Amino acid sequence: MPSLHALLYLGWRAVLVEPIKRLFQRGSGLDRFQAAYAEDRLSTTSLVDREIAFEAARCIGCGLCESGCRLLSASPAIRALGLPAAFRLVGRSPGDLAGAHDLLEACQGCAGCRAHCPTGVPMARVLGNLWMKAESSR
Amino acid sequence: MSARTVDVLVVGGGLAGAMAALAAKARGASVLLVRRSPGATALSGGALGVAPDLDALPADPLLGRRSPLESARRLAVRRPSHPYAVLGVHDLEEALGFAGANLSALVEPPDGRPRFLVHVSGGLAECALCLRSQAAGDLRRVRGLAAVIGFSGHLGFDPRLVAAAVERLMAAGGPRAAFAEAAAFTGPGEGALRPVELARALELPGAAEALGAAIRAVLPRGATVALVAPVLGLDPAARVHARVEAAAGLPVAEVVSDPPSVPGLRLDAALLARLAGAGVEVLHGEIAAGSGPGQPVHVGGATFEARAWVLATGRFIGGGLLRNERLVEPLFGLPVLASEVGAGGLTLAGRPPVSLTVRERTAAQPLLAAGVSVDALCRPLDERGAPLHPRLYAAGALIGGHEHAADQTGLGVAILSGWIAGRGAAATGGEG
Repeated sequence: MPSLHALLYLGWRAVLVEPIKRLFQRGSGLDRFQAAYAEDRLSTTSLVDREIAFEAARCIGCGLCESGCRLLSASPAIRALGLPAAFRLVGRSPGDLAGAHDLLEACQGCAGCRAHCPTGVPMARVLGNLWMKAESSR
Repeated sequence: MSARTVDVLVVGGGLAGAMAALAAKARGASVLLVRRSPGATALSGGALGVAPDLDALPADPLLGRRSPLESARRLAVRRPSHPYAVLGVHDLEEALGFAGANLSALVEPPDGRPRFLVHVSGGLAECALCLRSQAAGDLRRVRGLAAVIGFSGHLGFDPRLVAAAVERLMAAGGPRAAFAEAAAFTGPGEGALRPVELARALELPGAAEALGAAIRAVLPRGATVALVAPVLGLDPAARVHARVEAAAGLPVAEVVSDPPSVPGLRLDAALLARLAGAGVEVLHGEIAAGSGPGQPVHVGGATFEARAWVLATGRFIGGGLLRNERLVEPLFGLPVLASEVGAGGLTLAGRPPVSLTVRERTAAQPLLAAGVSVDALCRPLDERGAPLHPRLYAAGALIGGHEHAADQTGLGVAILSGWIAGRGAAATGGEG
């Protein structure tokens, strides 16, 4: 049996505290949610983000894409990281992407990687989405 | 728009698809091959495993090991759900010969004996066919001292590790081993180059010769072969291996690669070159689900009709099987069989894929042996065991019943099933 004290506390919150709180609140629930997590630089996951996350999950990290990446020969930063490593950034909060911004921006979406992917991951789309998030967090 | 008609459509351009297309072409059929990208073949290390000698102990002499054909025959007896048992191994020798002849520019022909190649990680790969650039490293044949040569600018290859692995095989009749480091790839920024980039760099005029000279400069006394990192060029036409060997003054062999594999990409390029040379039309693109033999199919803006189809779409890497809530063959919705290896007929494919793996690493993993089941002619079967369509064939890793990596039979199954499916498709597709 749940403790009487717990039930009384929940009742007190539901009947009195929450309705009174609501009288003084501003903005929609989404706004307040985002405000609460702004400090941690977290954001909500959109339906597009979710779709892209599923597509990115097909990456098996084989590295074949690198043989089609024009940037690989241009940027030491990308070379050190490797194109498949960018997939580890999927699902990170925008705040965490700031450091990878220049790397992601350098990708011009030539899609040379796409033709080399055995599992058919739309890499340009995944990297473009990451870049947009990195951009929004600046 | 009117549809162009071909006798045989092959979906998938790995080793199985290429073998099917070449076998159908050799029988006079008109063949169209559609592929999306390089598949699992391009990720292979370059050694084409057919069947390991399962009875051999690690200390048994390399010379005493059974031939790949005999090993395949024994494997077929023990594992009734393995494709070797289903298709029969009586055609395996001819299929291997066909593969060797078609890839003779890149692949060392089969000689009926197993080859033992050392892997970049220090493991031992037992194979029936290998690339010419690997053949001199067959530990069964090396006499004297095998020199494992590292490149000072390439951190992805540890000559000490590989030399120690070769030394351990001395008791089984392997050669003595030593290691050394050649000064190579030491220019500014070259230390971070990846295998693919090293391979491209070696294709440039003079680069392979310089590497050969650097190898020669550090060779231990008495060395009879140099084992090097698998980075000797992506384009088979650049002949990097031959150029390095000429400059080094002794046989040079690449060790078996891990992915991303330069020898695998070279094998992939050789397959495409051979398909073009044989007159097989290759289209890069994807095929929408729902079509089938005798029905129009759209690929990259063109419409085709094929009398016979060969599915060589691979397994999880190639996209031939998808892991959604359950295992799905996306193109035709073919029934997928996932059973314990050896326990034929037990269908587990309706279960969530995560439940098809077991924690014990060495146990059979039903998920990794999942695939469609076929008859002896490579035609996919329905749940009752009857062929789904008289002119629909499957080849390669899409066929279930074998864990193609763990069994070390993956590319052997690709060659055998591709050869059988291609010949069958040419026979039925050419009738109409």
